[in-house]
Amino acid sequence: MSSKASGLARAREVYSHRAQRARELKAEGSKILGYPCAYVPLEMLTALDVVPYRTCGDIREPVTEADRALPGSFCPVMRTCLDCALKNRDDFLDGVVAIHSCDPQEKTARVWEPYTDYPYFHFIDMPGTVRPEALAYFRGQLDDFRKTLEAFTGRELSRQRLAAAIECHNRQRRLVRELYELTRPSPPLVTGSEILQVVKALMSLPVAEGNDLLAGVIADVGNRSDRPARKSARLLTWGSTLDDADVMQVLEFNANVVMDESCGGIRAYRGEVKLTADPLEGLADYYLKEITCARTFRQGSLSGGAKDYAADLQSRFGYLKSIVRDWQIDGAIMLLVRYCDPFAFEMPSVKDYFDTLGLPSTYIEYDYTAGALAPLRTRVEAFLETIS
Amino acid sequence: MAAEQEKKVINRLASMKPLRAKVNETYLRSLEAIQSGKPAVWSMLNFYYGDPILKAMDIEVVYPENYGAIAAATGAAPQYLERADAEGFPSHLCGYSLVTLGYAARMMKELKGQVPPEAPFGGMPRPLFLMASAAVCDARYKWFQALGRYMDAPVWTLEAPAPGVREFFMEGYFESMVEMGVKHLRDFVSFVEGMVGRKMDRDKLDHTANLMIEVNRVWHEISELRKARPCPMHSRDFWSAMPAALFLAGDLEDSLRLYQDMYREVKERVDNRVCAIPEEKYRLVFAELPPWHSLDFFDRLAARGWNFVIESFGYRPPIPIDLSGVTDPLERITRFSLQFFAGYYDDASKQNVLGGAFAYPYLKYAREWQCDGALLHPLISCRSASTHLPYVSNLLMEELKVPSLSIEGDIVDLRLFNPEEALARAEPFEQAMDHYRRVRRS
Repeated sequence: MSSKASGLARAREVYSHRAQRARELKAEGSKILGYPCAYVPLEMLTALDVVPYRTCGDIREPVTEADRALPGSFCPVMRTCLDCALKNRDDFLDGVVAIHSCDPQEKTARVWEPYTDYPYFHFIDMPGTVRPEALAYFRGQLDDFRKTLEAFTGRELSRQRLAAAIECHNRQRRLVRELYELTRPSPPLVTGSEILQVVKALMSLPVAEGNDLLAGVIADVGNRSDRPARKSARLLTWGSTLDDADVMQVLEFNANVVMDESCGGIRAYRGEVKLTADPLEGLADYYLKEITCARTFRQGSLSGGAKDYAADLQSRFGYLKSIVRDWQIDGAIMLLVRYCDPFAFEMPSVKDYFDTLGLPSTYIEYDYTAGALAPLRTRVEAFLETIS
Repeated sequence: MAAEQEKKVINRLASMKPLRAKVNETYLRSLEAIQSGKPAVWSMLNFYYGDPILKAMDIEVVYPENYGAIAAATGAAPQYLERADAEGFPSHLCGYSLVTLGYAARMMKELKGQVPPEAPFGGMPRPLFLMASAAVCDARYKWFQALGRYMDAPVWTLEAPAPGVREFFMEGYFESMVEMGVKHLRDFVSFVEGMVGRKMDRDKLDHTANLMIEVNRVWHEISELRKARPCPMHSRDFWSAMPAALFLAGDLEDSLRLYQDMYREVKERVDNRVCAIPEEKYRLVFAELPPWHSLDFFDRLAARGWNFVIESFGYRPPIPIDLSGVTDPLERITRFSLQFFAGYYDDASKQNVLGGAFAYPYLKYAREWQCDGALLHPLISCRSASTHLPYVSNLLMEELKVPSLSIEGDIVDLRLFNPEEALARAEPFEQAMDHYRRVRRS
C-alpha cells in the first residue's frame, strides 16, 4: 500500500480518496466488483479473491447523466449512484452485483445493466419476508450468484474458501462493534463522523486490509489524547443511507452521535454469519433475517388471532432497546432520504417504539444533496433544544 | 354541448358496459355481504396469486388501491391525506397509501372501527386480515404493515419474485420460483383457514383457478384483435372492462360470458373494419396508470385522430400458457401468476432488452400493435409505475424510431395533471410522429 498513514488518519485518507486503493489493486491484477447495497454477500466475492467495492453516490455532484435513465422523483441515493456510474467515475470496476433489497435498487439495476458495459453484471432477487420458503428461495439465489462468480473468475468457490471468507468478514463485524464500544463512555472516545469515515473506508478495501485498518483505528482511538468533547446530547441516528461525513458533522455540531443505525453505520455489522454445513445457508439466513433494514417485512406473529401491535413493534425495532440503554441515548434522529419508501412507512411506528422507551425522537428528511445541509442543521438544533 | 360531442368521439364497445357495471355492483354487493357478517379482507392487487384463494373461500375483498382512486375522483381524498400527514407519514409516499392510512386512522382512532360517514361508496369496512403483495413496489407491503398502527388485523405478505432477465434463464431458476410460490400458497391457505375457521374446498379452488385462467385468456385474445388496422377498441374500453379479469370482480362464470361477448363484438368490428375513433391518424401505446379523474382527455385526443390501441402493462392479462397438465391448483395459480412477468422474458432475453419485466412489454406493444407514438404518464407519488418510463422512451426511439410524449400527473393529487397543457403539446407531437413515420419508412 502506498500510504504510510495508519489508524484514523488512514481511514480519513481512504474515505477522501476511495478509488485510489481500488485503482492500485486493479493495476496489480485484482478483479473489482461494485455493489450498491449492504445486502450483497461480500463473503462470496472475498472467497474468490474479488475485491468488493461499494458504489456510492456523491451529495456534491449534480445528477445529470442519470436523468436519461431515471425520473427526478426517485430515490436520490440510487440516482446519484447511477449518475456516478454513467460518468464512469469508478472506471476500475469489472462489474456490478445488484440486489433486490428495495424497489429503487431493483429498478435501478434494470437500467444500470443496459446503460453500462461491464464484463460482469448479476442481479440477486431477494424475498420480502423471512418465511422459510423465502429463505430457501434466497439460498437458491445465492447459489446462482456463486455460479456466475465462478464463471467470471474461472475458479471454484469451495466450502473451505467460503468458510475462511465468512470468518474474515465476521472478524470485521466484531471489530466494528468493538469500535462502537468506544462510543459508550461519555464523552465518547471517537466521533460519529470518524466512525462513518472508517466504515466507508471499509467499503473501499479488501476485507483483510479493512480489518488491519480497524485494528489500527481501535488502537489509535484507545491512545488518543485529543478526545472528542462532551456535547449537549448523546444521539442515535436511524435511517437508510448516511454515508457522508459532512452530513454526520451537521448532526454532531452540538451533539455526540454515539450510534448510527444506518447502512453507513453499524447495520451491516451488528450480527455475524453462522458457519453452517452449507455456508450458503448461513449467508442466506444472515442477509435475509439478521440485517434490520426496513425493506424486510416482519411482524409479531401470524397465529391467526388479533394483531398485537406491541409485539409487532418489538419484532421490527426490538434491537434498538439495548442500544438505547447501553449507549445511554438521549434522543433519536430518524433521518429519511426523500423517496425512500421502506423507511418512510416506518417513521410513525419507529417513533411509537421510541415513545415506549421514553426516548425523544424527531423525523428529519433530506434529499441527499449538499444543499440539504443547512436546513438539516436547523432541524437538528431545534430538536436538541427540545431535549436539552 | 361541445363537451358532450367530444365525449362521444370514441366509439365505445357495447359489451364493455356490463363488464364496467360489474365493478360497482360487485363493490356494493361486497359491502352488503360484509355488513351481514361475511369476513372482509383488504387486499393489494396481487396479480392472480392470492385472489383465487379468497374467492374460493367465499371471502369478500376490498382493494384500498382502488378505493384511493375513488377517494381522489370523488374529492374525499384531501381530508384523509391531511390525516395521514398529521399521523407522521411523509407526504411523498404513494398517494393511495396515504388515503388509506388517513382513512384507517380516522376509522379506528376516532370512530372505534365504524366506517367514516363521509366515506364515498360506503367506505371500506374493518377487515379480518390484510393481504399485501411484494410485487412491483415496496409500498405494496410496507403500506399494509404501517396499517398495523390502526388495525387489529394481521397482515399476510404474498411473496413475488422479481428475476433479472438473464438470471431468469439459469438452470432451475424458474422452478425455484414455482417451488417457493406453491409452498407459500399452502401456508397462506392454512392461514386463511385459521382466520375464517373453515377448510378450503379444493374442488372449488380448482374450478376458480381454471375460470380465472380462461377469463384472462379470452381477455388477452381481445387485445390481440386490436392489432388490426384500424384498431377496433380504444384503451378506455380496456380500462373500463379490466377489473373483472384483473381483480376477479364478481362471478367468474358471468365474467367469462361477458368477455366472450366482447370478443365477438371486437371481432365483428375487425371483420367490418370498424374503428374505435372516427379516423385513425395515429396509433399509440399508453404507459402506465391512466389519469382516472380525467379520462375524457382521451376523447379530445381521439378527435385529433389519436387511437390508443394498447396500454398499461401492469393491468394486462398474462400471455396465455397451457397449464392444463398441472393438477395441483396451487401450482397452477402460482405458474399463472408468475407468467404475468415471466411471459415476456424469453423475447426480452432474445432481444437483449435487460430492462425486463417493466420496459420490454412496451417495445413489444409498439412493434406488434404498430404504434406511431407512446404517451407516457409518470406519476409523482407512484414511482413504481414511473421509474422505467425514461428507459422505455429511449428504447422505443432506439429500437423502433417511435417517439414518446411524457405528461406528468399523479394518482391522487389531481392538480398535477393539466389536460389543457397536455393538449397544447399534441400538435408538436403529431409532427414528431409524422417525422418518425417517414424515418421508419426510409
